Amino acid sequence: MRKKIIIWGIFAFFVLLIFIIPHQNIKITDILNTFQGFSSEHWLGTDNLGRDVFALIITGGQRTLIVVFLASVISFTVGTFLGMIAACEGGIVKTIIQFVADFVTVIPSLIVALIFSALFGFSASMAGIIFGIGNMGQYINLAQQLTDGMKDRNFISAEISIGLKKRAVLFLHIFPNIMKQLLVYLGNNASSVVLQYAGLAFIGLGTDVTNPDWGTLLYQYRSYILTYPRLVIFPIVAVCMLALFFHFAFDDSRVKETELTIYD
Amino acid sequence: MKKIAIFVIKWVLVFLVASVLIFAAVRMMPSTPVDKWLDAYHLPHTQENVAYVQEKMGLDKPLVFQYTNWIINFFRGDWGVSLVSGEDIRERFMAKMPYSFSIGISGLLIGAFFAFFLGYRAALYRNGICDRLTTGMTIFCQSIPMFILSILMINAFGVKLNIVKFFTGDGRYSILAAILLTALYSVGALSRVVRSAFREEMGRSYVSFMVSRGFEPKKVLWKHAYKPPLASLISAVITRFAGVFGGSTVLEFAFAIPGLSTMLVSAMDSRDYTILQTYILVVVIWMFIVHLVLNLVLRLLGVRRQA
Repeated sequence: MRKKIIIWGIFAFFVLLIFIIPHQNIKITDILNTFQGFSSEHWLGTDNLGRDVFALIITGGQRTLIVVFLASVISFTVGTFLGMIAACEGGIVKTIIQFVADFVTVIPSLIVALIFSALFGFSASMAGIIFGIGNMGQYINLAQQLTDGMKDRNFISAEISIGLKKRAVLFLHIFPNIMKQLLVYLGNNASSVVLQYAGLAFIGLGTDVTNPDWGTLLYQYRSYILTYPRLVIFPIVAVCMLALFFHFAFDDSRVKETELTIYD
Repeated sequence: MKKIAIFVIKWVLVFLVASVLIFAAVRMMPSTPVDKWLDAYHLPHTQENVAYVQEKMGLDKPLVFQYTNWIINFFRGDWGVSLVSGEDIRERFMAKMPYSFSIGISGLLIGAFFAFFLGYRAALYRNGICDRLTTGMTIFCQSIPMFILSILMINAFGVKLNIVKFFTGDGRYSILAAILLTALYSVGALSRVVRSAFREEMGRSYVSFMVSRGFEPKKVLWKHAYKPPLASLISAVITRFAGVFGGSTVLEFAFAIPGLSTMLVSAMDSRDYTILQTYILVVVIWMFIVHLVLNLVLRLLGVRRQA
């Protein structure tokens, strides 16, 4: 538990830093001072156009966080809600919701995002919404299975029999019990969104090159990997750190004593 | 019988919804192929010119007519021609499909093959080498994007060591590298699925019974408990296929493989309605075949699982 608090504390600190720290305007180019090293003026040096790398990484971080936030919130809330409703109502409602889940799982969300960003222009919020809808299917299935497993428990039957409303039981008593497993999935999913968004920006259809995303930066700097490796290393480190954070912040892999088998 | 009917109805619906959505989406975008075509030939956008090009592309007909025409012709085998170049789309798709599909299928199958053995050993020896290795690989794949690894591979093998030429020749090294990367990125997560399924079987009474009768524990697991983990592995592979399709887009882009995605990217540039639409249909049909085959395999294994 202690470890979790430390991880979250560091994360909150960095998020705050990313959004409030003053940085140079990312659109200022300075052709006389390209490829500069670390200095007090440019903390991480400058790139091939003389732009401040620190400012670029920070702005990319803001955009990535927006995408992850939107995607996670949409798929978690909508997916969990639909999954629980499906398990609770059954019948035609369940069939329709399952169809939605199957549909969004079958269509690759990266390709949908690619098409939409090419057609309507590339923006962080749109990418977030598309990833959110695209990853919803897994949450629906998971929430439905977990709710189905919960329905037969004694305490639920007891609550129904004393006359509590079905909806109240569902959201106030079943939801807190299944939330833990859903959050583990949320962590894995959030790190995969970070990677997917980086890949989308790397392909860069319809991207505005003045809006730096970590993927866009990697694409722009990939030819300097031999001469100025630091330009490539910073975005890579940024992507990896964020993805790793989401993995460990929601990870719950401790083995309970009851799960040990004769093989151990 | 009822299950088959539901399966078919579901896929027909997926197909219809996807086709309507993409049909509407391409027609909602701000710039049309007519504009792009006129731009390409440096013609002014007068009303006459626009009307002429629209008629030439067949975009002046009512939307319902365009839609039904497109779907019916698609099933007849006439996938139409590219709005920009006038090429036959079906020939182009057929030429490009082998690249994309071979990367997806072989990468995932190689990954699944190794995942099964690694998962078995990881389940057998908790906290052993395989267990740690697969955990490490899962975290690795979750934190390092595929395209970063591909840039590094190109640099290491193509530039530094200079033993492989990625962008010249027939491109077989690029495809090999893409397949290996797809496999690498599947192994971690899939082996964890196999591991947890094996561990679930370990706790079953039939396993304890056989072990207590004196059978060797390893053999019990390998010979008698392999079916449920295999079924979980196949289910996981089914859900991963969509992701692999997206992932191969990035790989094709990084290694400059002339696959479906490369064509998609160029079609987006020229707003080529017909290629974009057909692409989505091909993706849906491809997913249908994958689900059909793997569900049949699951059925053959005789494990009850939801379709």
